[in-house]
Amino acid sequence: MQPLANITPLKPAGAIEVRNVGQIFKTTTQDVVALEDVSLDVKPGRFVVLVGPSGCGKSTLLMMMAGLRQQTSGTITISGAPIPEPDPNRVGVVFQEASLFPWLTAEENVEFPLALRRVSKSERRAKAQDALKLVGLDGFGKRHPHELSGGMKQRVSIARGLVQDPPVLLMDEPFAALDEQTRMTMGDELLRIWAATGKTVVFVTHSLTEAVYLADEVIVMSPRPGRIVDHLQVSLPRPRTYEMLSGDTFGTLRDRIWRHIRKSA
Amino acid sequence: MRGLGIKAARVAIVVALFAIWEILSRTGIVNPRLLPSASDTLATLGDLLQRASVRKDLAVTASEVLTAFALAVPSGALIGFLIAENRYFAEVAKPLLFFAFSIPKSIFLPMFILVFGVGFSQKVGFGFFSTIFIVIMSTTTAVESVKVEHLTVARSYGATPMQTAFRVYLPSMLPVLLEALRISMIFNLTGVILAEMYASRDGIGHQIATWGENFQMKQLLAGVVMIAVIAITFNELVRWVETRCSHWRT
Repeated sequence: MQPLANITPLKPAGAIEVRNVGQIFKTTTQDVVALEDVSLDVKPGRFVVLVGPSGCGKSTLLMMMAGLRQQTSGTITISGAPIPEPDPNRVGVVFQEASLFPWLTAEENVEFPLALRRVSKSERRAKAQDALKLVGLDGFGKRHPHELSGGMKQRVSIARGLVQDPPVLLMDEPFAALDEQTRMTMGDELLRIWAATGKTVVFVTHSLTEAVYLADEVIVMSPRPGRIVDHLQVSLPRPRTYEMLSGDTFGTLRDRIWRHIRKSA
Repeated sequence: MRGLGIKAARVAIVVALFAIWEILSRTGIVNPRLLPSASDTLATLGDLLQRASVRKDLAVTASEVLTAFALAVPSGALIGFLIAENRYFAEVAKPLLFFAFSIPKSIFLPMFILVFGVGFSQKVGFGFFSTIFIVIMSTTTAVESVKVEHLTVARSYGATPMQTAFRVYLPSMLPVLLEALRISMIFNLTGVILAEMYASRDGIGHQIATWGENFQMKQLLAGVVMIAVIAITFNELVRWVETRCSHWRT
């Protein structure tokens, strides 16, 4: 594949470009190729889901988009610029469970990114309130994480990711630890928040149903060395509804992804 | 209501123990010369606390304990932190620390007297020595209790090393550190009092040893009660702070 980086001069906020990215982990005994020649374009405002079996490097790819890890080869740009280190103004990250600080209240957790940049107390509080309201947790700000349910904790995590209003939100299996019902509800909530904010979302998951239900586009990856084996456009209309889960379009898409994953399992 | 009942039961047990003590002595079941009654002991305690010499001894012991504590806790914490943060150090040093920790520290007391002579530095030195290993080991545990996920969150939001230290490491470690502080104080107090009882010219441990040698049972028991109350008070104070941040552990 030819690098396209210099053909697109205008890169609006929220665009993600991944060009021929490779990642090699050096261990004492051998070099493990985690990712090989991965290229990907995410247009601003799109909801893109990365799926693949364990060890396909989808989380690694996400961490590189977040600037938390550097690729061995290739380039990644967010809003047109490389991301050599985390930049909360461009990228918000939502992690798996247990990433909230248990010694802070919900609103203090949401304020954390702002507190790091010495934003004034009143401005911090106001922004945290807005973010909590957006995720449907108005009035829960004074609670500590241990007083919140699993779904509520992940809402707080999303609020923390959005509080600095970055154009891109990266989500690393955010609902993996939730029960099925909460997971579906949170999916709907996330779509509502996404529609309200217009963020570019890259979402990593193991669940094929979740992938098709949420995404505009699904990227399917193969196990080591991680490569992109398919790139599906999900044509289902929005808003998504539960009825679609049993429809033909949904089934066809899910089967197509499943065939890739079964082949590699 | 149930909490209240439990508290009442605790108070009842303490009162009962003092009552049994009083009865055993008053009725002569135990020779009152060996076991003076509780009321006499408490009266003696009040008496002793009035005496300038006892107050001076308490002040000496307190200064030794605090000095040993103030030296042992930061240095132990620093060593523990360095060990925990460096994989190589940790692997080399950890078993050695367990070895050192398992040796009864009291057998080294004669050496402290030979090196420091009898006095302030010998007692502080021994208190320090009794305390530092538990501080190192607890700090190592505390550092290991910091979650990688939390560090990643801090990094992803652009925290500087200083911000990570104060906003992630410190609060993560605090519950374990408070517990460590409490336990080190027990070791520290034991070390200093032991050093005073073994060879010293002043300090409350020295006083207690002297009362024991001279068969002054009332004073001896009063001294025991006094030390016990001081130790329990400190312990409970730290434990109160500990319970206030217990939910941090989740």
